[in-house]
Amino acid sequence: MDESLSSSCHKMTDETFILLRDFIYEQSGIYFGDNKKGQLEARLGLRLRANNLADYDKYYYLLKYDPNAARELRSLFDSVTTNETSFFRSPPQIQAFQDKVMPEVISRKEKQSEKQIRLWSAGCSTGEEPYTMGIVLRQVLNDKGTSWDVKIVASDISEKALRSAKAAVYSDYSLRSVPPEIKREFFLSEGNAYRIIEEVRNLVDLQYLNLNDTRRIQIMKGFDVIFCRNVLIYFDDEAKKRFVSQLYDCLNHGGYLFIGHSESLHNISRAFKLVHFPGALGYKKE
Amino acid sequence: MKDHVLDRIRNIDDLPTLPSVALEVLSLAHQSDVTIQSIAESIHRDPPLAAKVLRMANSVFYRRGDRKVDTLHHAIIFLGLAEIINITTSLSVFSALKSRKTQEVSVRESFWDHSVATGLIARHIDKKLGMRTMGREFVAGLLHDIGKIILDQYFHQEFMAAYNMSIEKDRPMYETEMEMCGTNHMEVGYFIAQKWNLPPYLADVVLWHHQPSQASSREMAALISMANLLAKAAQLSCGDRMSFVLADQEAWKVLKERGLPVDELDIERITFEMESIGDQVKSYISTVMEPSDKEQDNG
Ligand SMILES: C[S@@+](CC[C@H](N)C(=O)[O-])C[C@H]1O[C@@H](n2cnc3c(N)ncnc32)[C@H](O)[C@@H]1O
Ligand SMILES: [Fe+2]
Ligand SMILES: [Fe+2]
Repeated sequence: MDESLSSSCHKMTDETFILLRDFIYEQSGIYFGDNKKGQLEARLGLRLRANNLADYDKYYYLLKYDPNAARELRSLFDSVTTNETSFFRSPPQIQAFQDKVMPEVISRKEKQSEKQIRLWSAGCSTGEEPYTMGIVLRQVLNDKGTSWDVKIVASDISEKALRSAKAAVYSDYSLRSVPPEIKREFFLSEGNAYRIIEEVRNLVDLQYLNLNDTRRIQIMKGFDVIFCRNVLIYFDDEAKKRFVSQLYDCLNHGGYLFIGHSESLHNISRAFKLVHFPGALGYKKE
Repeated sequence: MKDHVLDRIRNIDDLPTLPSVALEVLSLAHQSDVTIQSIAESIHRDPPLAAKVLRMANSVFYRRGDRKVDTLHHAIIFLGLAEIINITTSLSVFSALKSRKTQEVSVRESFWDHSVATGLIARHIDKKLGMRTMGREFVAGLLHDIGKIILDQYFHQEFMAAYNMSIEKDRPMYETEMEMCGTNHMEVGYFIAQKWNLPPYLADVVLWHHQPSQASSREMAALISMANLLAKAAQLSCGDRMSFVLADQEAWKVLKERGLPVDELDIERITFEMESIGDQVKSYISTVMEPSDKEQDNG
């Protein structure tokens, strides 16, 4: 029907869609449902052009057999994941983290005379999330001095996103939910942009990590709180189950997992205790 | 002095009263030979109440399809006797309590928002669990905390101290009430429920909604207990904003013991569904309140 349109744009056949979809799933656990074909087509269209390829079959062969496949794979992840994020995203979750979770974790550690805190932002995108965690932690620990050993691991599969996270310079738009006093205390303005202060920047350890890389995830241990928000959406049930049960093992007893605001682990895991906070849910490992 | 708050409430002679029609309808409800006619007649004796019952019957909360109900008689046929009694009871309690003067409008508002939310959530869970409580769960949710409004009205300062303390210290209201008033909203509410001759299941819920295993109407008390918690999770709280694990709650255990399929509930989903309950709450309140009621409240 739309001859002119389909010949000028690249069109993905259903067979190729399934090949690519399965390939991406194998590599990342990100699942493009049948209703997401258009989305995948649009995103990969950019990769086709970048590689000067005529159709999606050729792109599939490149991923599968080309010596440079590994590099292309990284770029592919960049284009299939949306890196949308912001500081203090889903405020009730951040509030629960600040008012309930961190005080609980800290007082437990104090009782055990332990002074180490490990947090993880899994799927940190351009860094707003781990830096938010850092700001909150600074505030919670404020009157307890600097004697705590704190590290926030922040990982993503997108190198582009990680580069932005490393630069740690943000636009007004990213800071839209940041209260003015926090803006003043934790950011330095640079023209129209804002740079996160060193003190918070230094808490965050940025890493390239494919969450689907079972062996790499296995060595992640001893976390008190994990944020893995708006990442599981890319995984199908099987990958979610596997990964979430790994996250469980990554947590300390008494630790918490936060997933995206309207994501659910019902049918995915029963290992955690579901905790209701005002306006937010958390998952606790007892 | 503090320990005598309940005694002092007992001796207050201008305690709010339920309209006589409401009492009549409630007592008719216990009779075996009650007819549609007798209930309709009795409600008609209070024309403003009759008008409100009709308005309620036609509101989004009760309306079935697009048939408009234009007489009480019809309303009773459509909704059933039980539901009409529920509506009458809640409207009467509302009018007995809402227009009293108070200094802290925000607490009053959070009280009604929390009460209506608890009723609506109770209804939602009731459906999911197939409990068939026939609308009684809604009234029970609506009234479970009436003790708070009495405390606020007659012991305003003590109550406000308890209210603020529960938020600041992240402690349950009934504990801080005990400290500040020497009693709690369950005891006070129970006293009022008995004075008003509310049906036993309501008195039971009022007294035991924080310890449902003690109640005679255990299932109902547990349902309201759970709805109360979920209302807080939906940020419609009147007092403390504590976190909780639903599956560790007494209410959960009671419902489970009674053979209700709580383990099959998708709690996450219910929680997300309840996040938008604020709009329904507002709409319910505006259906129940006359414009003049609202002015009085703000005055
Ligand atoms: C929508 S962002 C979420 C950012 C942040 N967590 C938030 O909620 O605001 C999703 C991020 O997950 C990353 N991601 C998706 N699949 C991944 C995988 N298999 N391994 C690591 N990161 C992944 C994407 O690159 C993207 O940066
Ligand atoms: Fe209560
Ligand atoms: Fe309550």
